[in-house]
Amino acid sequence: MAPPSAALYTPTFFLALLTTLLLCASLRLLAILPDTRFSSPPPRRKSGSSTRILIVLGSGGHTQEMLYLLKDLDPRKYTHRTWVVSSGDAFSVGRAVAFEKALEEKAEGEGEQVRGWNIGSAHYDIAIVPRARKIHQSLITTPFSSLYCLWACFRPLLIPTTSSSTSSITDADLPDLIITNGPATACILILASLILKFFNVQGASSRGKCKTIYAESFARVKTLSLSGKLLVRVVDRFLVQWDGLDGVGGRAEFVGILV
Amino acid sequence: MSKLCFVTTGATAPFTKLIVSVLSTPSLDAFLQCEVTHIFIQYGTAKDVYETSAQAARAYLKQKGAEEKLEIDGMDFDSSGLSKQFKLVQETQGLAISHAGSGSILVALRFQVPLIVVPNTALLDNHQEELAVAMDRANYVIHGNVDNLAPAIKAFEDFRAKMAQFPPITAGKQRQSKSFADVMDETVGFTDFNNE
Repeated sequence: MAPPSAALYTPTFFLALLTTLLLCASLRLLAILPDTRFSSPPPRRKSGSSTRILIVLGSGGHTQEMLYLLKDLDPRKYTHRTWVVSSGDAFSVGRAVAFEKALEEKAEGEGEQVRGWNIGSAHYDIAIVPRARKIHQSLITTPFSSLYCLWACFRPLLIPTTSSSTSSITDADLPDLIITNGPATACILILASLILKFFNVQGASSRGKCKTIYAESFARVKTLSLSGKLLVRVVDRFLVQWDGLDGVGGRAEFVGILV
Repeated sequence: MSKLCFVTTGATAPFTKLIVSVLSTPSLDAFLQCEVTHIFIQYGTAKDVYETSAQAARAYLKQKGAEEKLEIDGMDFDSSGLSKQFKLVQETQGLAISHAGSGSILVALRFQVPLIVVPNTALLDNHQEELAVAMDRANYVIHGNVDNLAPAIKAFEDFRAKMAQFPPITAGKQRQSKSFADVMDETVGFTDFNNE
């Protein structure tokens, strides 16, 4: 058969190609994005099954609120914690380590019942990602640093950084749950997780991995923060702490003060 | 007996107008009326604003013959957090005055001290104001006005009696709505874990 003539590559051809691709992408997005409200509960998870969560920490205020949110975290259920911190944020690293230390101390106090508690350095790791935009960074270079940050965000999603020999192989799987409360890094990390779901990398979509919870800051009473506005239609659960925000974006769930 | 008023203005971008307002003459009169004996200000990087205002305040107190009754002191910031200061406020039955940053509000409320929250009205985004109004309405804090702080200071002793507990007592078993841990469990499928 003769090769297609050059006349095929007309603007109309490319337009048709582009439209087809866009249509496919939209259908795929519709398939992976969550329903309007959290309606279909996931299949029941057995106790003791390996469950990795990924927690995005941000600047001072965000980090502090996040640690209040996690005050009742049960290390028997959530077997591995990956803490994502922006480079240069020593405060958040310190707070994450202190949180894990406090879990260990709590376990010591429990004495005999400590069996089944997944604590200690094999059960958590701290992943450093570059900042999407440094303070005073020029707007022209921001897209590039954001792309760099996006690239770096795939790593903690795909593998915990300090996966030691003692941690089980399943801990090296994709995270089951991503928890965030709105620093800029969180938007980029959630975008990275959407890309994984879009292409079903390592079964991110088919195995129901990378579920997302966004908790809007308790400081937000009537309006969403910028991150909140960006993520309201994308995350699986969108929690707000003041009733004035209930149902915002058709998705926000008012759950009372959580911090 | 001593009674401490601790003022926090934020570490990185201090709310300088709040420092000036706390050390203005109507505020000082209100402090004296409430028998506050010490004012301790966390001024961040605004050391010069603090020093000028403190000097003027001390001069005013001296002129009133009250320099023994009310002491003024300050610090830039405490890297170990502000818990120590709020604990002192709690022990001396004093009060705290804070910029509307959620970090300081959450720490102060853990100590159950009367807290005056003063939003920075000069900020473009007015969500600080909304938070202060909502928190005041729920009796968690007193909403203070940076241009006229004296009424809020005078109200703090009465406020102590009607102050609501934070976080609300609906937390824990009595809680009607879901806790964050419940939402996490639901989302990943641990729903029936506790009933086993």
